[in-house]
Amino acid sequence: MESLHPRIRLLWIAQWAIAVVVLGAIIAVVSRLFVDVPSVALGVIVVAGIAIAAGYAIRLYQAWRFELQSDALYLERGVITFVETAVPFVRVQHVDTQFGPIERLLGLSSVVVYTAGSRNADVRIPGLTPDRARDLQDTLRELAVESEADDAV
Amino acid sequence: MVIQQAITWVTIPFFLVVFLSGIVDVVEYSWVFVLVPLGLLLGTTYALVYYYRFEYGITPDTFDVRSGVFSRRSREIPYGRIQNVDIARGVVQRLLGLAVVSIETAGGGNTEATLRFVSESEANRLQHQIRRRTAEATERRRRRADTDSDAVESGESPLPDDSVAGTPGEESASDPDFERADGTATAESGPQISESDSRTYESRRRRLFDLEARELLLYSFTSFRPAAVAAVLFVFFLATDTILDVLVTIAQPVGGPEDLENGTTGSYGVLTIVSMVNGLVITYLLSVAYTFATYYDFQLGRIDEDFVYERGLLQRYSGSIPVEKVQSVTVTANPVQRLIEYAGLWVETAGYGPDSGSGSQSAVPLADRRRVYAFTENLTGVERPRFHTPPSIARRRYLVRYSLIAAAIVAVAFGTAWATPLERWYLAAVVFLVVPPAAHLRYVNLGYYVGEDHLVVRRGFWRRRTTVIPYYRIQTVSTRRSIFQRRLGLASLVIDTASSRTFYWATPTIYDIDLEDAREANGVGRTRLQSALRERAQSDDVGLSVDFT
Repeated sequence: MESLHPRIRLLWIAQWAIAVVVLGAIIAVVSRLFVDVPSVALGVIVVAGIAIAAGYAIRLYQAWRFELQSDALYLERGVITFVETAVPFVRVQHVDTQFGPIERLLGLSSVVVYTAGSRNADVRIPGLTPDRARDLQDTLRELAVESEADDAV
Repeated sequence: MVIQQAITWVTIPFFLVVFLSGIVDVVEYSWVFVLVPLGLLLGTTYALVYYYRFEYGITPDTFDVRSGVFSRRSREIPYGRIQNVDIARGVVQRLLGLAVVSIETAGGGNTEATLRFVSESEANRLQHQIRRRTAEATERRRRRADTDSDAVESGESPLPDDSVAGTPGEESASDPDFERADGTATAESGPQISESDSRTYESRRRRLFDLEARELLLYSFTSFRPAAVAAVLFVFFLATDTILDVLVTIAQPVGGPEDLENGTTGSYGVLTIVSMVNGLVITYLLSVAYTFATYYDFQLGRIDEDFVYERGLLQRYSGSIPVEKVQSVTVTANPVQRLIEYAGLWVETAGYGPDSGSGSQSAVPLADRRRVYAFTENLTGVERPRFHTPPSIARRRYLVRYSLIAAAIVAVAFGTAWATPLERWYLAAVVFLVVPPAAHLRYVNLGYYVGEDHLVVRRGFWRRRTTVIPYYRIQTVSTRRSIFQRRLGLASLVIDTASSRTFYWATPTIYDIDLEDAREANGVGRTRLQSALRERAQSDDVGLSVDFT
């Protein structure tokens, strides 16, 4: 079982922090214009939000595992709901590598595996080094081609 | 034909203008006199340009559509990817002899190609042309898969796609009705071809199921459509005042208030109850009428490798589903239908169907339960399932869950009592009485069966669905455990197939079984998927057996 790159925690915390700061800004605007929200409360919301984010990110990092098994890509993840997913290689439609602005800053990359399914139709493995991501993409592509089925939808 | 199409194109700008003038009214009345002719002119021009710029054609390998006035789009849909072809005829269209053809593929949540305003005969011709070519493409792919597996067996590498490039070439050479035409030309040349062609085609049609009058009525009266609620609410918002007046008038003889302003608490209560009853009855009747009109004269048949169905009173639908594209089959029954021992049968494809906004099609709206079971067994080849039920600890879980919901309702009642003069909020606690039966009903309706070639999942009380999923249709399998489930050692198994369901019909899920059982079923699903795919690659067999009845 392979775990993600430790820096992914920073990414998740950063994403949360941005959301929390935006929320804080909205509250600040509201308090300026309509109702008076004490600045202490605002500070508590922001700090608590970031603290929860940090805790969540660390737990999520501990829970995240993935593995290439003989017939399928197997993933385990989730803090509140723990999900184990198997994506058979035959079902892989295409594989992407992606990275957003923060991911690029942190030198991380994600692999996204698409299936024809309705739910969990795209499975994302975040927090990989760019090399590992490309590597994984190539491997998955080869495995998918190797095991191509004749009953394409 | 051309005149008919021109008339239809004029109706669109007409409605556009009606709509436009509705908006314009708010601004300035006098604008209407300028804008209506202008809108008519613009609309007609646009429609005419759109019409002349719209082309479609049947090529040996793809169905091509080129459309667009300002930005052009040309789209080629390979036959092998087409899921279903539907024809819809509304009231106006039936008067004008026109039809709308929609072509679905698995990709995206939308219809891939919609041909509006083709003549009925042309629509039928297109439908069976596409159907035939889809069947040919499937045949070709199967042949290729054979050569592939032979090659693998003899130790060679799999043949690349272009090694069979000869086959499509032959097709086009031997294909007498290859043509490429714009809308006008096809509209004129269509009927002659379809006359002779469709007769032989129709003669191969085998009847599988006709919805009899009795079944149609039973179905209309025992099913309920959420759309009816939306319709009633919409009308209510459009004409709130009138409807309120009517409601007050109806409630008066049984003790309602004189008008909305003057009344005692008692008379307001009567008004509320009477209005609610009115609302329910009207919604129900609307739902009955809607179901009746939708499924009037439902017929299901089979032509070669396709299921074909027709239905509708005012708007007539006819569609085709390639048997090969069926992902899973679901038997549904609500409590009333279970009481009279009836059930319905749905098939799911990866496309996007005309109703319920998902890829599921009603194959048998309602029939005797035994008959539906027999259909399902013939269609999928599934053995009669012996259902396992989740451990009884799951029931405790629902008890807790529903108690929390009940507590929330009581809390809301308390909150309302606190903010308004409403008294006796604690009466809301009666909802707790519903909790144990609700939890029990949810629990007893859950079941799953890990069969030889299929997985069968049953769930739901209000609309109990029993889904039969062949292993080779599995896309992904997930075991999900929430924090509550982890404490109780339970897990839910989510089996994803390519049938594009919306929020209305969730992905088939086996809820709250022991973690061990879930893991085992997960493993079985995965290994049987592999073995089933290997078997399918070796034999020419289509996954679903041919006999339905």
